[in-house]
Amino acid sequence: MHIPDGFLSPQTYLPAYALAAGAWAWAARGLRARLDEELVPRLAAMTALAYGLGLVMVPVPGGTSGHALGVAMLALLFGPRLAFLAYSLVLVLQSLLFGAGGITALPVNALAMGLAGAFAAVAVHRALRGINETAAVALAAWVSVVVSAALVALVLGAQPLVAQRADGTPLFFPFGFSIVLPAVLLPHLAIGVGEALLTVAVWRFARRRRWRAAA
Amino acid sequence: MTPAGWLAAYLGAVVAVGFVHSPAALAALFACALAAAGRPRWRLLRRALVAVLAFNLAVSAGYAAVALWRGDFAADYLLLVNLRVLLLVFLGFWFVARVNVLAAFAFSPTLTLLATLAVVQAQHFARLARDFRLAFVSRNPAPARLADRARHASAQAATLLDKSVAGAAETALAMRSRGGFDD
Repeated sequence: MHIPDGFLSPQTYLPAYALAAGAWAWAARGLRARLDEELVPRLAAMTALAYGLGLVMVPVPGGTSGHALGVAMLALLFGPRLAFLAYSLVLVLQSLLFGAGGITALPVNALAMGLAGAFAAVAVHRALRGINETAAVALAAWVSVVVSAALVALVLGAQPLVAQRADGTPLFFPFGFSIVLPAVLLPHLAIGVGEALLTVAVWRFARRRRWRAAA
Repeated sequence: MTPAGWLAAYLGAVVAVGFVHSPAALAALFACALAAAGRPRWRLLRRALVAVLAFNLAVSAGYAAVALWRGDFAADYLLLVNLRVLLLVFLGFWFVARVNVLAAFAFSPTLTLLATLAVVQAQHFARLARDFRLAFVSRNPAPARLADRARHASAQAATLLDKSVAGAAETALAMRSRGGFDD
């Protein structure tokens, strides 16, 4: 669901950078103390997996892309702060190496997918894990995808209102909420099912190897 | 110019491009960037075109359909948005071609550490996946059944993750021995 470069106005991405900078500083606080030889390889492997998942994307007619995130997997295994940092790193690498996403869209993509997606996953998992662990993990992953997609769609849909010429011609992303919300959300309802299956598989893999979950 | 200088110039150019709303001015800026990129310009342009093609086609076709239906089609908007996206992606690829991306994280040793491990892991994944695929093909002279493919994919995924964690653990130990975890 990356927003590509060039579709967000500076009026959107500059304040988003300010917000994201605060979030990155908060997430990085005390990071060195938490990273050790046991956590770093696991985090690196899962970050690389999220990086690979994000590159298998299909364009969505509403103007963004559909792909699995891996954010729920990162958040449930390492907590939302590390998940946000790791996914931000994934977005930077995808943007610079493959032109997927972009530097102007980075803060919105990171806040929507890396931060909101991670917190949504952890919240759902905590609420439901007492009932059924597998269902809690699956639903956490599905909700993280849908929440992230909804936020991305809202930011994109606001662009014709934020920046347009005097005659109403858009300057950045052309579609309003009525088009972009269903165009982005509907495919991600299905993508969320794939994300849920993947997250449950990785969760079971981690459990079999006795990784200590963060969430 | 130092990597930090290139990074500052790149970020400044990216922000400036966002404030240009004239297709003619963007085309002139794009021509300047192409001229300044030197010998790799056509390779970079081809990469940028491939990277933006699918998304820009989807947005452009969608916009054209909706705007024609509404009767407010503006060809200069299509030119503006496609030129802007192409220029931004070209600038990104040009920056990466000139500067080691990992050097851009030099301000944070922790980010450098994570980025190095993630990039190495991504390459490790790609190599392992190719080896597994070739091995599977070589063991199946006839096309494999769907159930066989599913079993293979499941076994491959678990092995990939195990190998990846083991590889990253080795890299982390090597980095520790060289002071990578020291403040």
